[in-house]
Amino acid sequence: MAGFLALAAAGASADDYQLGHGLDLGPLNIAGYSDLVARFPNRQQKSIDLDDLSLFITGHFNRLFNPFVEAELTNLSLVRWGGVADHDRGDGDFVLERLYNDSYLTDSTTLRLGKMLSPVGEWNEIHAAPLVLSAVRPAVTFRNFSEYATGASVRFADPYSQVPDFQLYFQPTGEFSERPRDITLHQYRSVAGAHVSLPLGLLDKFGVSFQQSKDRFGVDQTLYGGDFHYTLGKLTLQGETTFSDISNNGTRTARDIEWGVYTALSYAVTDNWSLYGWYEGFADRTSPSTAHDLLFGIAYRPQPAMVLRLEYLQNIGGRAVNPTGLTASWAVLF
Amino acid sequence: MARLLLGIAIFAWLVVPGDARAEGLLIIANPNLIVATPVPLSQIAAIYLLRVTSWPDGSHIVPVNREAGSRAREEFTQQVLQEDNAGLAIYWNEMHFQGKMPPVVQESEEAMIAFIRNVPGSIGYINGSAPRPDVAPRLDVKVIAYVP
Repeated sequence: MAGFLALAAAGASADDYQLGHGLDLGPLNIAGYSDLVARFPNRQQKSIDLDDLSLFITGHFNRLFNPFVEAELTNLSLVRWGGVADHDRGDGDFVLERLYNDSYLTDSTTLRLGKMLSPVGEWNEIHAAPLVLSAVRPAVTFRNFSEYATGASVRFADPYSQVPDFQLYFQPTGEFSERPRDITLHQYRSVAGAHVSLPLGLLDKFGVSFQQSKDRFGVDQTLYGGDFHYTLGKLTLQGETTFSDISNNGTRTARDIEWGVYTALSYAVTDNWSLYGWYEGFADRTSPSTAHDLLFGIAYRPQPAMVLRLEYLQNIGGRAVNPTGLTASWAVLF
Repeated sequence: MARLLLGIAIFAWLVVPGDARAEGLLIIANPNLIVATPVPLSQIAAIYLLRVTSWPDGSHIVPVNREAGSRAREEFTQQVLQEDNAGLAIYWNEMHFQGKMPPVVQESEEAMIAFIRNVPGSIGYINGSAPRPDVAPRLDVKVIAYVP
């Protein structure tokens, strides 16, 4: 308690607030992010959406009690016009993204209990719009696995990055505060998995993922994945791939495997401006054809916590997962 | 000519105060912290990269940075963290989103010292010369390492 009061007295005031750092209130930090997106798909309804308005609170009290909670308003359509309306109402959903406690068992080992993001690839764990590469999210980074796990995980991270980091996680029953069906494709009942990441630098890494899951229809899925992030001067290469074997599938899907791969290249023109592009191939379980998409974009970061993007996605084969068209976004970490 | 230059160099050495001649970075921590010194720079880097979050007594570590653009932060970033500022900004934002708190920023040396003095578990840095055992500490903070 003495530490709480001292930290509050010495370190917390509105004057100390900096965009992206959140607000310190003693051992608590209150932060969030917003993502405003304008979508201009070629043959569909155009829209301006508040994709995310997220608030997350981090607490650090002692080795054993370090709670974290994130809740967000998502999928709120502000304006729509033209084209053919899709089935999505876009009237906004309140979602509990994360609610967990971290206990630092040693300097390198953490026990996490609660609802957490599944460590499949890199994008899912840092999916906040101001932190990721593009406004349009490649399907392979979220579509064919459980993005969340409600249960326990053990995380090992060597303080000096001499050996690979790894995580094991387990969800015995359903997802806590399950997301509504209009914003998620699959609702999972049990999830277990592992992720191993080899640090190659501050941001650079090579990772492999495994996840075993069962959805609410009893469909079993075994997923294998890989991801990488590598910086070469002003160039950054990154990508993810997954392959899923699906069983107990009945007649609900077109195929018993689902796979995807995306690979991206970005170039820092200046400290503030960057150009980027990615290719994605995605074979969805419900479609007999494989989607092939190309995306090109330009981003302006007036500061690290804010990014404005303008990008164009072109579907070049198969049934589109992300629609062809222009997207603009303004994302802020606050 | 060579003698002239050597003379100028010796004169400069004699007239420049000792603190300025030998100034590096002092890594400082809250005075109540119990830790063996000097703390290795690799451990200090791990603290600022949020890969070590607790002191040996179990208390939470509160790393403190100077503001971006300050000379002390530039030196600390280059010599201790050995990373570039742009990469660190991205890294700390990602860590923040994953529940780990990036370093607190204090915008002057006086503010840094006051924060370290008052907040248990805090660690920071200031410009200074190598600590001497015969000189009593004047800052009411614990010096845990020196970066020449």
